[in-house]
Amino acid sequence: MRHLSDGTLRRIYDEPLALTAADQAHFDECPDCKPRFDAIANEARATTARLRVPSFEPQARAALSVVQARITREETARPARWYQRWLDRNSPRWRPMATPAIAVLLAAVLVTGLGVSGVAQSLIRVFEPRQLQAVQVSPSDFAQGTALLDYGNVKWQPEPPKLQQLSDAAAAQSQSGLPVLSPASLPKGVSGPVSYGVVSHATGSLTFDAARLRASAAQAGVRVSPMPSTIDGSTLVVNGGPALIEVWGLGTTRETMGIPTLVIAQTRVPTVDSSGANVSQLEDYLLSQPGVPPELAAQIKAIKDPSTTLPIPIPKGLATTDSTQVNGTPAVLIKAVLGAGVVWVKNGVIYAVGGQLTPDQVLAIATSLH
Amino acid sequence: MLQMQAWRPTVTHAALGAINHRVPDPFERLFLQEYPKVVAIAYRVLADRTAAEDVAQEVFLKFHRSHSPDSEHASGWLHAAAVHSALNVIRGDRRRAQRETAHALDPARSSSVASPEGVVEEAEQRREVRRALKRLPERTAAVLMLRHSGLSYAEVATALGIKVGNVGTLLRRAEEALRKEVDRATPE
Repeated sequence: MRHLSDGTLRRIYDEPLALTAADQAHFDECPDCKPRFDAIANEARATTARLRVPSFEPQARAALSVVQARITREETARPARWYQRWLDRNSPRWRPMATPAIAVLLAAVLVTGLGVSGVAQSLIRVFEPRQLQAVQVSPSDFAQGTALLDYGNVKWQPEPPKLQQLSDAAAAQSQSGLPVLSPASLPKGVSGPVSYGVVSHATGSLTFDAARLRASAAQAGVRVSPMPSTIDGSTLVVNGGPALIEVWGLGTTRETMGIPTLVIAQTRVPTVDSSGANVSQLEDYLLSQPGVPPELAAQIKAIKDPSTTLPIPIPKGLATTDSTQVNGTPAVLIKAVLGAGVVWVKNGVIYAVGGQLTPDQVLAIATSLH
Repeated sequence: MLQMQAWRPTVTHAALGAINHRVPDPFERLFLQEYPKVVAIAYRVLADRTAAEDVAQEVFLKFHRSHSPDSEHASGWLHAAAVHSALNVIRGDRRRAQRETAHALDPARSSSVASPEGVVEEAEQRREVRRALKRLPERTAAVLMLRHSGLSYAEVATALGIKVGNVGTLLRRAEEALRKEVDRATPE
C-alpha cells in the first residue's frame, strides 16, 4: 500500500478537494497517513503563526494614482525620439506625430483599400465596433453599445480622396506617380485582365471639440471622461496617398464580378500632424477612450517605437502572422484560411500583396515585383 | 469593384467614433485586480506596510515598462516579482527593522497583543522570523511566502514555474526549514 506523500498531505491541509478519490479512500483508512497529516498540519499552523503580520488594508486606487503619476513622469522625462526632435526643429509650429492609434487606422485604410480576401475584409473591423469580434481582441471587449461619438470638426482639403478606376497601366502610373509593379510570373488561378485603382493624395483634419463630444455622448447615452485641455482644440492633420492598386480577377460586369485573386497595392507612408497635443498626450487620450479594445491598446502601447512601426490588425482565430522578409526588408506575412498576404515598408512606401493564394505564392510574387 | 470605403470623408470621424464605449484601461484593470495580492506578498515578506507598498509599486512600474497588461503571464510575473523583490529587500535593508517597530507600535494597527510590551515582543518575533527567512534558499522562501500570502497552489506554481503537484512538497520542506532556522536562532 502506497502512502500519501508529504506534499500531498500538505496540500490537502490547504485544499482538501484536491485529493483524488483513490487517495481519499486511502487517507480515510490509513493508520499511518493520518498522524503524518496531523504533524504536517501542525507545522503549517505554526508557520502561519510565525508569519503572521498586523492587518493591513491596501488602498489600490491610491496606489494606482501614484504609479500612474510615476509612469507619466517617466514618459515625460524620456528623451524625445529622433523623429520628434527632427520635426520640432523643422516645423515647431506643427508638431507632427504618428500615434499608433492613427497608424492602425491608416493600416486598416490601406488594407481595406485592397478589398481582398477575408483577411483584408476583417482588418477594417478594428474600427467598426459592430463587427469587432472578428479582430485580434477579445469579443467581450465589445459587448457594449456602438453609438458613434462626435469628437470634433472633420475637414478635407481641398476635397475627400477619390478613387479612380483605370484599365491602362500607363495612365495609372501617371495619375498616381507610383510605378506599376509586375510579378515575374503569376501562379495558377491568377489571370488577367488587370484593373487599376488610383487614390488621390488627400489631407484630412480633425479638430477636437470637447463640447461636441459632450453633446454627442449625452445624446448617445455614453459616458466619456472629459477631454483634456491639451487635446481640446488640437487639430490632427492626416496626409494620405497617393495609392496605386492593381487587381487581378475582377469581372467587368456585375455578373462576373468576384473576389480578386491577387491584389498588389502601394501607398506613400501616411503622416499625421498635430497642432497642439503631443504624441504621448494623444496616444494616452485615444487609447483610453471608451471603445478602444484593451487588448489592441495594450499591443499598441507595447510597441517600442510607434513612429516606425505600423500595427496591422489581425483577426484572432481567423489569421496568423509570421515575420518574414521581402528581398531583405522585414515584412509581415498574414496567413488565413481564405488566403494570404504580405505587407512591408520600404523607402517611404507601404507595399502589400495578397489574395486567394498560399503564403509561398504571395511571397514569390512579392519578391519578384519589378 | 474596389472597396475604398475607408477613404470616405468619414474615415477619421468613423475611426475616432469607433472609440465610443467605456472600456477600462487594461493596465488599470490589471493593477486593481492584482495590487492587493502583490502588496500582500510583499507585506508578508517584509512585515512593513510602507516597504511593501514601495515594492508593489516598483513591481508594477517594472511590469509596465516591459510587458503588456493583457499578457496571459501577467499575474504570475507580478507575483514572482513581488516575492523576489521583497526577499531582496530583507536581505539588504537595514532600515526596515526600525520601520517595522514603528509600524507595530502604531495603535491604529490591529494586533493580537494588547499591551505595549506585547506589541514590541511580537515585532521582535517578526524580525526574528524574517532573519531566518533571509537565510533560506530563494525558492524555498518564495514558495513559503507566496502560499502564506494567500495564493492558491496553482498560482504559486505559475509564479515559480513549477508543477502544481510539486507545490505541496516544496511548501512542506520550506515550513520545516523555516522552523529549523528560527529554532537555531532562538535556542531553548
